Amino acid sequence: MRSISFLAGCIAAASSFASAELNQSKPLLSKQVLPSTFTPPQVFKNNNLVKNINLDKAYPRETINVIIENIDSKPQSEYYLPFETSLISKIGGFEVRDKKAAEKGIFKVEVVGFDAESSTEFYKVTLPEPLAPNAQQTLSIAYSVLSSLHPVPAQIAQSDKQYLQYTFSAYTSSAYVTEKQRTKVKFPNSDVPDYTSLPSELNDEQKADPQKQGATLTYGLYNNVPAGALQPVSVRYEFTKPVTHATLLERDMEVSHWGGNLASEERYWLVNQGAGLKNHFSRVEWQKQSYMNPPTFALKGLNLPLHPGAVDPYFTDDIGNVSTSKFRPGKREALLELKPRYPVFGTWKYSFRVGWNADLSSYLRKLSAGETYALKVPFLEGPRAGEGISYGRVNLRVILPEGATNVKFSTTVPIVENSTSLHKTFMDTLGRTTLSLTAINLVDEFRDRDLIVTYDYPWTAGYRKPVVITLGMFALFASIWVLGSIDTSIGKSKKA
Amino acid sequence: MSSPLLDVWEAASGSPYYPAVGKNTQFTVGFVLLLFSLVLGAVFGLNRSFVNLPLLGGPAAVAFGFGAVYMICAVGVYV
Repeated sequence: MRSISFLAGCIAAASSFASAELNQSKPLLSKQVLPSTFTPPQVFKNNNLVKNINLDKAYPRETINVIIENIDSKPQSEYYLPFETSLISKIGGFEVRDKKAAEKGIFKVEVVGFDAESSTEFYKVTLPEPLAPNAQQTLSIAYSVLSSLHPVPAQIAQSDKQYLQYTFSAYTSSAYVTEKQRTKVKFPNSDVPDYTSLPSELNDEQKADPQKQGATLTYGLYNNVPAGALQPVSVRYEFTKPVTHATLLERDMEVSHWGGNLASEERYWLVNQGAGLKNHFSRVEWQKQSYMNPPTFALKGLNLPLHPGAVDPYFTDDIGNVSTSKFRPGKREALLELKPRYPVFGTWKYSFRVGWNADLSSYLRKLSAGETYALKVPFLEGPRAGEGISYGRVNLRVILPEGATNVKFSTTVPIVENSTSLHKTFMDTLGRTTLSLTAINLVDEFRDRDLIVTYDYPWTAGYRKPVVITLGMFALFASIWVLGSIDTSIGKSKKA
Repeated sequence: MSSPLLDVWEAASGSPYYPAVGKNTQFTVGFVLLLFSLVLGAVFGLNRSFVNLPLLGGPAAVAFGFGAVYMICAVGVYV
């Protein structure tokens, strides 16, 4: 009996190795685990729901606008939104607001899962004020779905148009009954060769489903869709732009009080998730085309708008300095234009690092009370591109001066992990206090989010570096004196 | 959205942090201090005595300590 359970354990362990894939964006979220019998209490009803899927960028952005109604007899504040487990690991930037009072800010959101191997997980949205019985509220739920666009065909010629396929559900997945709902898909252009047509009986208006108007498709109207119902559909559309995805971004910000400097460095591991090349890359064809600048699915360049005051930029990769870059300092922004060593076609990868310096005075302030400092830096800078960029995982390190204590931080970016450690580098004795933050599934829309860090830095800690060097130098002088006064002469020492 | 740390940041808007020696003068200050330290160190090397150790070696060590920090910053390694 024991051997059977041991064997089963071995098989389970081996199968988990076999199914393991390199997924940098695997969530680290500490989930709230619920019993497997859990179903969200049916206390809400979706009166009217419209899901907008925007395919303009290289990642789908979905916005669900829904009027929810409390059908319970007590005030309720917990609204659940279910997702497939495979899908929830791709969802990023999940934010819920009150559509009619956006200034109230972002609602508290948690991921909840089951203890068993369930295929469904939930986002639990906590309304800031419980909704009274029969009262209604309009929620605006926005998120991006990363790594979900697939090129069809998967391999194309160098100057072909690229087509992407996106599969989603025409019924918005919901834990509650939905009275009326539509799903609108907005494409970058009207070249949509294929899309799933649903039988018109499903449609409440008995019209052909979906309705196509220019670059927009509308699925629905659907009436009284039960909780948990799904209706998978696929669309295929033209997108001759790079599908740029950073599997990993490491970003360091180093604060130097002595130098009055904030040094930033970003290390990217990029991959183009678009279609691969059917034949070999033809440099001749590429050069011939480049004068006409036609749309291409290869990544040709990246523009990094830096904050004004950025100086000393560098752009290197595994080989060394990449000389194909331009830096345009300006009053409003300092633009760093990068060109990779080669055009990055679909399935190709490119990793590089960029860095720059800036004056610390625009990022660091000293508080009037005590020896506390406040640092405000952008959480994400990175390239700005019309087609957008998604980040599987972002590891941000804020390297504070040696001896900084009592580190606190605040940001509106959803963080999955944070820790404070020591980082040892030039002229350190103890190591510098380092705040490490990890976020997964971010998109370039998070560029303007700030990170605020406060820390205590006593002036005695500031003098550690010069004092250590001073002591070392003094020890050298003292040892010179001691060694110099040793009498090494041969023969009897002269006395008087 | 307002958060306590954002309020802290806004409250300190009148006091941005400036170092004692700005980026443009780091090289000059570092160079002068290192030169001073070199001269004192050389003088100490020529007449080594117990009295000269704190009298010349002390100031030379202090000048070298601060001079080295500023010179390292001036060449781009912001410590």
